[in-house]
Amino acid sequence: MAISEELARTIIDPKAYSNREVVDSAFAQIRANQPLDKAELAEFEPFWVVSRHADIKEVERHPDIFHNGDKSTFITNIEGNQRVQMLTGGEPNLIRSLVSVDGDEHKALRGIVFPHVTPRAIRPLEDAIRGIAREFVDHMLSFDGEVDFAADVAFLYPLRVIMTVLGVPQEDEAFMLKLTQELFNNADPELNRARAELSPEEMLKSLWETTMELENYFKAVTEKFRANPTTQINSLIANAQINGEYLNHRQMMGYYIIAATAGHDTTSNTTAGAMWALAERPHLLKQMQDNPDRINAFVEESIRWEVPVKHFMRSAVADCEVGGQQIKAGDWLMLSYQSGNRDEAVWADPFEFRMDREANPQIAFGYGVHVCLGQHLARMEMRILWEELFKRLKSVEMNGVGERTISNFVCGPKHVPIRFTAH
Amino acid sequence: MKKWRCRNCGFIYDEEFGWPEEGIAPGTRFEDIPDDWYCPDCGTEKDDFDLID
Repeated sequence: MAISEELARTIIDPKAYSNREVVDSAFAQIRANQPLDKAELAEFEPFWVVSRHADIKEVERHPDIFHNGDKSTFITNIEGNQRVQMLTGGEPNLIRSLVSVDGDEHKALRGIVFPHVTPRAIRPLEDAIRGIAREFVDHMLSFDGEVDFAADVAFLYPLRVIMTVLGVPQEDEAFMLKLTQELFNNADPELNRARAELSPEEMLKSLWETTMELENYFKAVTEKFRANPTTQINSLIANAQINGEYLNHRQMMGYYIIAATAGHDTTSNTTAGAMWALAERPHLLKQMQDNPDRINAFVEESIRWEVPVKHFMRSAVADCEVGGQQIKAGDWLMLSYQSGNRDEAVWADPFEFRMDREANPQIAFGYGVHVCLGQHLARMEMRILWEELFKRLKSVEMNGVGERTISNFVCGPKHVPIRFTAH
Repeated sequence: MKKWRCRNCGFIYDEEFGWPEEGIAPGTRFEDIPDDWYCPDCGTEKDDFDLID
């Protein structure tokens, strides 16, 4: 029997994700009763909902069987899928990026940037990132005790870090932030391109316009870095060759776009979510200040807690069994990282934010060969920001009601109003 | 022969097969891999691999 229509609609409803407890409750029921089962909704191709931590890992460890790029990599209805294929000339995703390619193409593309974002490769960036973190801590303290931590700090600090690493000038940061928010918050009238409620058709049109605007921007980036190559990531992308050829247009644009959008929005969401958790739990700040060696545990828990990428889709290319279910070639699967990170089989108290967990195998970055390329940089920049913030903060509490974005894909807090005192 | 799993992405280093792509011969013990080796899938360093029971 398929998952009930009510639960299936909840876990794909962008508005439900703006009230996270609603989605958490739906997934808790799914994990308890139908942890890997089908959702059948009239306007969608049927899809399996993979809700358990172990099953998500099982799927992700077999990229030869479960492909990213054969169908849409995020939940889209049948009509939307058809329109995307019309716009792209037959491809299932508007943007051809690392998360929507497989096999040799994925390995070759990933290999362009991978050696530059390993823990060892990014270690020399520590001092520069700490300088940026201190700048944003000073910026926060300049607000004199009350600030929207999401909009005024968390959106901006990872943006500055990633744009520095990519080679995007500071004067372009506001443009990149705006287009990132349009891309990931298309269902949210406060942040989408039209600043309005949109029909599914209008959303796709809006996404396409944002994508084209980004492509126009990056055309000039390619010219700039081909003329004067640097060691920055955008230069690596502009000058990379596979089998003696530059990346094709869609590969190159997809790479620029994912690096310049997912590269900061996920970290921003996690940082904002961690501050929200901190502001609601006054004992946590003291715990962290008394135990600075727990900083990595705090960062890891904030990633588990916020889980900024809510899901990715996969499609099976062969019959197989996962979680006791028979999956057929051609089946579509939703990997819910939000659900996986609340799995009661892994965490005794998954709905608690705790910095004293001895082990935290959170799965927010994914798993296997598609694991987040920027995971080590993300961890590093969050650790540094919190180290600097914990030195300065004396107290923090919520100063109103926080708000989450309306989105079922890459999302998190958009407003975290806090009241604080500082040293 | 033992197996070691990357904590971040699940890559498994199997001592029986080594990792010839990077010149690590079959039969190479995990302890004998150079300390600056990292996970070929995600970059995680040797210290963050766990022995699989």
